[in-house]
Amino acid sequence: MTDTVVRAPRRVISVLAAGVLLAACSTSPASSPSAPPATSEAPETATASTSTPASTLPEPSGTVRVYTSVTQDTVDAVLAAYAEAAPDVTVEVFRAPTGELDARIAAELRDGQIGGDVLWGTDPLSVQSYAAQDLLAAWSPPEAASVPEEYQTDTFWGTRLLNMLIVHAAEMADPPTDWADLTDPAYADGVGIPDPGFAGSAFAVLAYFESNPDFGIEYYEDLAENGAVQVQAVAEVLTGVAEGRFVAGMTLDKSARDAIAQGSPIEIAWPASGAIALYSPVAVFADAEQLVNGQHFANFLLTREAQEAIASTGWQPIRDDVEGPPIEGEQVSPDWDEVFDRQEELLMEYRAIFGG
Amino acid sequence: MGAGRVLALLAVAAIFGVVIAWPLTRLAIEALGSGTAPFIAALGPEGVDAIRNSLLVALTVTALAVTGGFALALLTEHARVPSRSFLLAGILLPLLVPDFVSALGWTRAFGPAGLIDRLTGVELPGLYGPVGIVLVLASGAVPLAYLLIVAGMRTRAEPDLERAARMSGADGAMALRTVTLPLLWPVIAAAGGLIFATTMNTFGTPAVLGRPAGFATMTTRIYSDLAFSSTDAAFERVLGLALLLVAVVVLVVVLTDRLGPRRTERGSIAGPRGATRPAGRLPIALTWTFIVLTVVVPLLALVLTALTRAVGLPPLPENLTFANFGRAIDSRTMPALVNSLLLAGGTALACVALGAAVAIAPGQRWRRRGSGIVSLGFAVPGSVLAIGVLLAFGRSLRDSLLIILIAYVAKLWALAARPIAAALDRLSASAVHAARIHGADGPTALRTVTVPLISPTLIAAGLLVFVFALHEVTISILLYGPSSATLAVAILNVQQLGDPTVTTALSVLLTLLVMLCAIPLFVLRRWWSASLTA
Repeated sequence: MTDTVVRAPRRVISVLAAGVLLAACSTSPASSPSAPPATSEAPETATASTSTPASTLPEPSGTVRVYTSVTQDTVDAVLAAYAEAAPDVTVEVFRAPTGELDARIAAELRDGQIGGDVLWGTDPLSVQSYAAQDLLAAWSPPEAASVPEEYQTDTFWGTRLLNMLIVHAAEMADPPTDWADLTDPAYADGVGIPDPGFAGSAFAVLAYFESNPDFGIEYYEDLAENGAVQVQAVAEVLTGVAEGRFVAGMTLDKSARDAIAQGSPIEIAWPASGAIALYSPVAVFADAEQLVNGQHFANFLLTREAQEAIASTGWQPIRDDVEGPPIEGEQVSPDWDEVFDRQEELLMEYRAIFGG
Repeated sequence: MGAGRVLALLAVAAIFGVVIAWPLTRLAIEALGSGTAPFIAALGPEGVDAIRNSLLVALTVTALAVTGGFALALLTEHARVPSRSFLLAGILLPLLVPDFVSALGWTRAFGPAGLIDRLTGVELPGLYGPVGIVLVLASGAVPLAYLLIVAGMRTRAEPDLERAARMSGADGAMALRTVTLPLLWPVIAAAGGLIFATTMNTFGTPAVLGRPAGFATMTTRIYSDLAFSSTDAAFERVLGLALLLVAVVVLVVVLTDRLGPRRTERGSIAGPRGATRPAGRLPIALTWTFIVLTVVVPLLALVLTALTRAVGLPPLPENLTFANFGRAIDSRTMPALVNSLLLAGGTALACVALGAAVAIAPGQRWRRRGSGIVSLGFAVPGSVLAIGVLLAFGRSLRDSLLIILIAYVAKLWALAARPIAAALDRLSASAVHAARIHGADGPTALRTVTVPLISPTLIAAGLLVFVFALHEVTISILLYGPSSATLAVAILNVQQLGDPTVTTALSVLLTLLVMLCAIPLFVLRRWWSASLTA
């Protein structure tokens, strides 16, 4: 019996070794001559490329490894578009929820080499943290010019927007229209909110309210006093409202629109003071094995084709010139630079109110 | 000891070193590398709360599940029950339902706007909170306790001793307390230790049912830190908390191992018990009520959810559809399923072989120590174990099926080893002695006496490991690569889209699939026991 255990792995190792060799052979010619030391060259590229199209990046071939926590349907849509743009590139995707993805990166980092070339996150928090640790390549994607300035840094760029807004039961007599309404006794014991300790999007909401003088952490105190209930996952709020466990709650726009399209008995209320928007950034690891291919893929996410693919799965594209889902009101955002260092502090404040 | 035996023991020790000791050492190095800060953070006031909550839940669940499993085992093994196979199927069915939907099943069944609420207007109070967590976890653990205790009973049925006790004037309760329980203790302790460790490690149910009540456990804290593990401090807290969890689990498991009576060398080998006494009506009624409430209703709620067109619609005929099953699977599901089946099968074979290897350990003391030591791997939360395996083998084995297999074996070795060691404890040494006296050498005695006698436990252990490996969603998600994606990846892909109708559809498909896998196993077992008696 022990024999079978030892034998199977040997086959796997040899297959793996063959794969590594193949990958090394097929990609090294493409990457070695053209891969520039990213940090030093970045300024020149930046000025030179702001107006040039994506095609000026070297034509890629070989493989690129994408680490992402973006939902699978969106990844699939983008990959289909990329297969047309760069038919010679094999994209290997490692997709996992943010926590698992970050844990894998942390383990690989401590082991010496992050296994991915591109990082496509769901929210800016973890990407900011990698930027602060100098793990991301500083460069300038040619397409970055089309991205609104507030979603650009030296090392990562926004690719789409996620909007946190209010959902409520369909056919409600007096539905909530703004965030402040959720603390109204009319909705006592009937409001669901996502726990910011488990998801970046829920954390964005906490960060926005806490640092906004109109709300402050007192907003959460009022919610708690009104009997609001925290749930672990953002989607649970939506499910809870649809099933009648809650009358209203905070959730993400795309999942709410998807559920409505299928016939779920819920409605969206775009908060009058603004939906809380967070952006989903892309970056290339500084030590990427396939730096050039990684940059090509990251830049592609900002192109019109990729943005249309993203929009086709229901998310708001980052580019203004690509049509996306309906934006029915204001959009507000937390000051990501300001909240970046305060994750623990904010969560402690929150947990003092909602427990756990 | 013969040279072959020494070599075999060395091989087992080496495998232990590679799959459990080295990854855990790497974890400890990373956690300690940053000083004591992670541990101090883990022991802050919230940390102590979480430890207390976890212990409270795990101890209650263990006590309830072991008592329930033992009672059910007495019912089905010591008495004649009508429609026995339906009863057995009902008791064991929860094992086949992936535990990532068990909390969902209960909330859809008994929660606000759940099935029972819709039908009768009654909802289960306290479902969101510690009471609900304990109920869901305990009813999920009952079949595990039942399976292991029944396997232990079948290793060595001792109707003579119980009959002797009854004839000497002991009433049923006294015979149970003085004869049956002490004889079964090793098996009960093994089952209890495993249930305790699984409960301490479980995340899905406390997250879904505990967060609304602000009820945190060690695992919800670990996963919350994991969500922010892009910062060093949070990552190190994950490791610190997880190592603390391991320490608590191993401490409790070792203590329970020491609690029980020492090996009982009373009695003789008796054939399988002929169940003579018909079971009372009350126990049977209670059992069926338990099965309907904790198995049938939640499962029905899950199936109805899977068939509903959109979340929140009542399960009326006009809202039912099979479309969710189509949305639950895509072109990646099949390869993932094949990988998961291969891995689960390989892990089950490896763990049963490694677990059975303790049979050749020199004496019961070493057997206990051995099964205690491998519990280390079982005590680590899945995602943290995966981090350890990545740290240990990430460079050389990344993306391979082998690295996932290593993690699975590290995690599930104890799930096979503890029941097998316990079954061996119940085995009478005289049988092996008799074989040796009649000229059988060690391996022959092992093959012709020991293995057939403990075969119920070997099968139960293999089945458990297989199902646990197939249903896990925390380990392979950190380890997979382009060609080694598992069901966990498919499940989390679907789960993250946030539509429970699709998630439940996938879990219903998975349950049906394991049922299909179980059928050949049962046929095989029939054939095996027939060939033994022939």
